[in-house]
Amino acid sequence: MSIGFLNPALLWGLLAAAIPLAIHLFFRRRPRPTPFPAIDFILRARRETQRRLRIRKVLLFTARTLLLAAAALAIARPRAERPGEAAAAVVEGPKATAIVLDASGSMRYRLGGRALFERARADALGALAALGPDEPATAVVCGAETPAAEPPGFDRAAVRRLLEQAEAWAGHADLTACVGAAVRALASPAAQARLGKRVVVATDLAASAWRLDVPPPVIEGPEGKILPEVTVQDAARGAPLPNLAVVGLDAEPDPAAGPRGYRVTAAVSSAGGEARKDVPLGLSAGAGPGAKTAIRAFVDLPSGGTVRKTLSYAFPQGGPAVLQVALPEDALPMDDARAVALVVPREVRALVVDGAPSPVRYRDEAYFVESALASAASPVRPKLVDADAFPGEDLSRYDVVLLLNVRSVGAKAGELERFVENGGGLFLSLGDEVDPEAYDRELGKLLPMPLHVVKTAASPADGAARAARFADVAWDHPALSIFVGEAREGLLGTRTYRYVLAKPGPKGAPATVLASFDDGAPALVEARRGRGRVLLFTSSADRDWTDWPIRTSFLPAMQRFAGFLAGGLEERREPALVVGAQRTIRLEPGERLAGLVDPGGRERGPAELERMGLREGERGGLVITPREPGLWQVKVTAQGKGERLEPRLAFAVSPDPRESDTRRLEPKELTAYFGGETHAKVEGDAQAAGAGRTIPLWSVLLVLALAAFFLEGLLIS
Amino acid sequence: MADAKRPLLDPAVLAKLGTLKLRVRAVTEGVLSGLHKSPHHGQSVEFAEHKEYAPGDEIRHIDWKAYGKFDKYYVKRFEQETNLRAYLVVDASGSMGYRGDPDRLSKLEYASALAASLGYLLVRQQDAAGLVLVQGHVAGAIPPRASASHLTPVVEALEAARPQGETRLDAAVDWIIENAPRRASVVVFSDLLDPDERIVKKLAQLGRRKHEVTIFHVLDPAELEFPFDDPTLFLSMEDARQVEAHGRDVRKGYLEVLGRWLEETKRTAAEADVDYALCRTDRPLDEVLVPFLARRERSAA
Repeated sequence: MSIGFLNPALLWGLLAAAIPLAIHLFFRRRPRPTPFPAIDFILRARRETQRRLRIRKVLLFTARTLLLAAAALAIARPRAERPGEAAAAVVEGPKATAIVLDASGSMRYRLGGRALFERARADALGALAALGPDEPATAVVCGAETPAAEPPGFDRAAVRRLLEQAEAWAGHADLTACVGAAVRALASPAAQARLGKRVVVATDLAASAWRLDVPPPVIEGPEGKILPEVTVQDAARGAPLPNLAVVGLDAEPDPAAGPRGYRVTAAVSSAGGEARKDVPLGLSAGAGPGAKTAIRAFVDLPSGGTVRKTLSYAFPQGGPAVLQVALPEDALPMDDARAVALVVPREVRALVVDGAPSPVRYRDEAYFVESALASAASPVRPKLVDADAFPGEDLSRYDVVLLLNVRSVGAKAGELERFVENGGGLFLSLGDEVDPEAYDRELGKLLPMPLHVVKTAASPADGAARAARFADVAWDHPALSIFVGEAREGLLGTRTYRYVLAKPGPKGAPATVLASFDDGAPALVEARRGRGRVLLFTSSADRDWTDWPIRTSFLPAMQRFAGFLAGGLEERREPALVVGAQRTIRLEPGERLAGLVDPGGRERGPAELERMGLREGERGGLVITPREPGLWQVKVTAQGKGERLEPRLAFAVSPDPRESDTRRLEPKELTAYFGGETHAKVEGDAQAAGAGRTIPLWSVLLVLALAAFFLEGLLIS
Repeated sequence: MADAKRPLLDPAVLAKLGTLKLRVRAVTEGVLSGLHKSPHHGQSVEFAEHKEYAPGDEIRHIDWKAYGKFDKYYVKRFEQETNLRAYLVVDASGSMGYRGDPDRLSKLEYASALAASLGYLLVRQQDAAGLVLVQGHVAGAIPPRASASHLTPVVEALEAARPQGETRLDAAVDWIIENAPRRASVVVFSDLLDPDERIVKKLAQLGRRKHEVTIFHVLDPAELEFPFDDPTLFLSMEDARQVEAHGRDVRKGYLEVLGRWLEETKRTAAEADVDYALCRTDRPLDEVLVPFLARRERSAA
């Protein structure tokens, strides 16, 4: 029987037992000299009580020391371990041995102040040291790389070096595949056939690392298939591995939270522990030292379950941004936080040109459009002018121009073309004021499709039955992708009575029909002109030709159109990658990569990045495979400028959620998988293996500490 | 404890009075106001011996009973004497200098106040009072006299006494045996912390010589209660001994030893017919003096 500790690092607490002695030696109060006449009586009293007092003092000192020592020992959770009888039938004689070291993310779990990986490495090195001189060995470090193993040999130094230099990475590892690779190495002709075969696996027994639904690895020998002897070293020594983790993070625009509001949904899981209430969850915005905690929330976690927590956050300004959700740090810190990099829509400056103003507001051509763009949650800041004032406007001050039933732009057409060519957005809606032929002449270079004639599908008096409806909507288009589920009804239910038919455009000026009417006539047509975009709605923006302005879909559609035309909707970030996945960094012309700042704040220069595998991507950009979860920031140098962190390029790397699931495999399951107790055994957790017993001693120590406490009180009184 | 009606008898108040004379005055006035008027017996005559009549002897002193028996004239001879001759034995050893509280009288100051007050009251009753000051040896002695002017040197001697030397009351016993051939009252003021544990028995020897012995056992409350809680280095007040002890640890044992000693002292005094009174220096002086005077009054009656 041996004594083990669940938290051996806490044994430092035993030093507290020396406190009474230290106080006795160093903090003893100096006696105050006092003249006293009846000193004879004191001497006599001391003589009479000296023995009793000395015993009392010794008892008091012992009780205090015992109290502290027992409490410190109890915290270290000691337990008597009675080793079970060897479960596996051990083949006599030397064996070729393959050692598999689990280097997956869950091995970063810290138990008793020490990472499981360090314990597992010590187990693996111990197994290597225990080999006889006639036993060849090899090792497989089961981490990021595809598992491969050299045939077993007698170069112990090389195997030891491999094990000593191994590091646990943050991603997933497939232990089943690694054991398979180890068994294949043992089966190689280089491994002496006459020797027994043994696999030693040093792992934390996390269930997510194993695939027990595939056949167990076997060695094809001259006498047929044989199962190798498998010894699993449990680095956790049977202890449960409770872990809280942020396993998912999603940020979606939330108009209810304002123009730059986001609804952040975090998935928080609890593995291998008890249900927890009021676990703090913080949402911070920003990267690096400038990050600020925006929201502090609490979540209740069921045992072994996952909950979703939704938080709303509005960014004060647009542009590239980072959100991070974090739990309090626990034994596995790598999954306690998760970040997401996003681009917050910038404010869109829109010029709305009203082609048919009216003193009656709801009859005004621009009334509905302006109301939609100027609503509270809109990122668009519209300015309304009538067609007469339009020529006087400086278009360079706007991102988007909306021409609503404008009869003619006159001499402004040239400026409008340059505006679009240089990246501006143009929205065109038609109406009674528009003459299709005159438009084709005036705005021919800008129109996505030439206009033809006005078609009247029905008059409002005819009712809805004959009115045209939207059909063939490009729902995946950025401007229309917000319409999902029932929201699409708001668009499809629109009734349009009149619209302008469009002609196919000339070759070389491609246009995309985002929606057409049910007779096939284009309703919404998008085209790129230079660096800008043009969107044509072939009906009116007021209620003269269609009832769309009073439909629920009109407001979000107009805001999305403005955002799309201003180029804001396509400024999307790639979703956060799982650790180990490739990331492409796309630099602007003139920019040069100066380095990456990893989630720990350490800057990695180009030389180190090359060692990390930085290379040119096949489709342009620089490709790198980050191996640490968290937010990576990109440092660039541009012409004439020094090094700077480019927020646009920052990207988030997520930990693999499989590694957050620290639920452990039942040792019996594992031994059964490898052929039963005759072929496999789990060491380090005799109780779990069902072959031995662990007796917790901490409760006894606590009782001892309690007894010492009461004895101390009794002696003092 | 301060007595509101007799504030001047409170030791705490007396401690603030600068001189012993003032203290004596305060005490005696307080005591007298609390006593009944003392009967004044005046001079007394005491039969001394018979003497055969010779011409010139007073005829009225002829003992006619003796003439009836012996058929000879015998004249009774008398001796003139005071009511009482009292020796006030004050222990002025080093241990008597102790005071447990700076606001209290030291044991010597308390004993001096008691002795001087008693001397005054005795002289006032036509008794003679003398003083024996003991500091390891008899450091000073004033024979008893009944005149009021005699009190001044007594008070001055007490006032001048500084606590020093060992407690050696047997020196006083020897002195009285030597210098007081006639019956006297011996009043001892001491803490009895004498190296000779049989000192009470020694004092009782005076009783066998017809002296009336009274012991005022003067102790400080701190000696009786031992109010020390912390580690303390106790220094002897009469020699170089010292002992380090934690007050809390030895208190119980000390009080046990002290209790046994007090019981033993009381028992020994009672067995030897020695009058004994324990005086705490925080108690009003009349609580000591009045019972003593009352006892004397009763015995005189």
